[in-house]
Amino acid sequence: MSIARAERLPARPWAARFVKPEALTGYGLISPAVFLMMVLLAYPFVLAVYISLSDRVLGEPGKFIWLGNFLKLLQDSLFLQTVWNSFVYTLSTVFLKLVLGLLLALLLNQEFPCRNMVRGALLLPWIVPTSLSVLTWLWMFDSLFSVVNYILLGLGLISRKIPWLGDPFWAMVSVIIVNTWRGLPFFAVSILAGLMTIPRELYEAAETDGARAPRQFWHITLPLLQPVIAVVVLFSTIWTFADFQIVYILTHGGPINATQIFATMAYDIALVAGRIGEGSAISLFLFPALLVVIILMLRYLRRE
Amino acid sequence: MRKKKHGSVHTGGDGTISRRKFLGVTAGATAALSFGTFIRSGLGAAKINVLTWSNTLNAMDDTLREQAKQYTKEKGVEVSFEFINQSDLPTKTAAAVESGAGPDIITTWSDGAHLFDKALIDVSDVTGSLGKQLKGWTNIAKDIGIVGKVWKTVPWGIIPIIVVYRSDWLEEVGYRKFPDTYDEMLVMAKKLKDKGHPVGFALGRAIGDGNQSHYPMLWAFGGAEVKKDGKTVAINSPETAKAVDYRRKLYQAGETEDILSWDDSSNNRAFLAEALSVTGNAASIYWAEQKNAPHLRKVTNHALWPKGPAGRFGYSTAMGLGIFKFSKFQKEAKAFITWLIQPKQYSAWIGVGEGQIAGLANYYEDDPVWKKDSKLEVVREIPKYVRMPGYPGPPSRPAAEAMVKYVIVNMFARAAKGMSTAETIKIAEQELKEIYGKA
Repeated sequence: MSIARAERLPARPWAARFVKPEALTGYGLISPAVFLMMVLLAYPFVLAVYISLSDRVLGEPGKFIWLGNFLKLLQDSLFLQTVWNSFVYTLSTVFLKLVLGLLLALLLNQEFPCRNMVRGALLLPWIVPTSLSVLTWLWMFDSLFSVVNYILLGLGLISRKIPWLGDPFWAMVSVIIVNTWRGLPFFAVSILAGLMTIPRELYEAAETDGARAPRQFWHITLPLLQPVIAVVVLFSTIWTFADFQIVYILTHGGPINATQIFATMAYDIALVAGRIGEGSAISLFLFPALLVVIILMLRYLRRE
Repeated sequence: MRKKKHGSVHTGGDGTISRRKFLGVTAGATAALSFGTFIRSGLGAAKINVLTWSNTLNAMDDTLREQAKQYTKEKGVEVSFEFINQSDLPTKTAAAVESGAGPDIITTWSDGAHLFDKALIDVSDVTGSLGKQLKGWTNIAKDIGIVGKVWKTVPWGIIPIIVVYRSDWLEEVGYRKFPDTYDEMLVMAKKLKDKGHPVGFALGRAIGDGNQSHYPMLWAFGGAEVKKDGKTVAINSPETAKAVDYRRKLYQAGETEDILSWDDSSNNRAFLAEALSVTGNAASIYWAEQKNAPHLRKVTNHALWPKGPAGRFGYSTAMGLGIFKFSKFQKEAKAFITWLIQPKQYSAWIGVGEGQIAGLANYYEDDPVWKKDSKLEVVREIPKYVRMPGYPGPPSRPAAEAMVKYVIVNMFARAAKGMSTAETIKIAEQELKEIYGKA
């Protein structure tokens, strides 16, 4: 009844319409979020896409060249190596983090003394600012003072020191180790949270039916963890493809470009050499592929 | 009851706001607010901001701060220095150039003036009068300062990169003086390594030490990445091959294998840890010893880069002071730079540096700082030999790109790791052609 009457009221002046308390509250509540999204996400992103389609160099406007940068990159031997490195880096770290994270979560889901403290401590690598912890790793891999070599030599596991950051192969191993160390807590804690939501009754029922631990894991735990795993793998893949700090601090992309990845190469080209257009293209190169992956993953999750 | 329309915020009556309308209004407001930030107030007294790198020698920065204060007192123009990490300079510069806002005076690093010359004003009048007053500019000053035919930055100083060596260990193997040629150095390096005192020139991603040790080596053997035109790639030559062969021998005979992982500070650490007999560096090792290892300072000495068949070369970072076009105080900035490079101020500044920085005007070759310590005397000769990447062509964007991609350093590194000379040069040639082909 009251609504019907309101609709019949004559149109009020423009100002009064917006002063309606409910409308005002609506604007008020959502606008900070939309404002932030526009300024911090939409604007830089659109700008980056625009720049990647131009031949812009530092201080000059440049002209629009469509996909010129991307096509040129495909013929750039260093870039192709960068693509390869990025995939090796991302796929191996995500795989390691997943396997180790799952194991760690299963362990932490058991009853043992000081469990909460251990769970808390686990988060440390994740909490400490990356640049700071990676500096510590830099020292641990130092050519002269490497504590890792010192220990391995002392234990008699190696006969001569490993050139951690000085050899193309070992440099990639080093950045993979550090990235895994750094990202592991995220996997372990997320998977642990997933584990804790699995109802105990399922396991009890399985036990009554005579299923042992491995079968329980395979038929109960893993299927029920699937959505969590999908999300952490998705996030971690995106983060690792975009990683900068670990590689930049540890190897700066070297030696002989063995650990050059998208972000470090984009930095060198765009900011140090001043080819902003090409640098943006490097950093956006995987965007279309990642977008497809994200859409597929989110679809899958929604269906679940 | 009216059914709520999908995609709208129900407010009743005419107050219904569609999602689209809402986004439109917010986006408009955002744009208006962002635009507002671009409008800077140009009112008030002149105030000059200078963006520069923070020196490892804090005393040099303190001197600049003092001088800024003194300038304000004398001329009534406020000057403030902002000191940032050297490695952040490119990022900050890029941000200022792109946004058209930031400091008035920028420290151009190496080829900086060539990279963003469009954002800098012509300072030929300043360099003209300073040049007349200070006995002219060195070649390297002209290389970094003149873009086309116009001075875009006022040459400020150079961080001389020299050979740093342990005189006691050299004496142990029979050398009272550092050898004058690369071939002699190779013989000496082998003797040193046999005694457990390897030499080491960074072959890792040390943007400073790596490039600064290896461009001179390439040039000294007669190799070059491009021809004089600055366009035609010329790396694939018998001269380059000689340099690469030499590099491999030096690595195998006399160097620590750690050099492949070195960054810019690794050789400093190794030298101070007494694990290194010879390296290429700024005078910063010598300076650090004063505080941390006085016993080493007695046995540390410096030498010029050795000569090769094509002569003696060096590559050191040279800096200039450029003025941004967007600066509102260009006239005042020019006056300040002129004042800063006057002997009274300039000598005081490089005086506290003890060889960390050398002047780029000929006048400063005879600065009193070089008489203070005989071990630093060679430093003053360095500006004479210094060339920029891209030599014998002019500094350029492709030359800078080749440097940040470590094309030359990696060419030598692959050889050290065992790749054949022909193969590693071919890879470098391919990379250089890609880079120079874009220009």
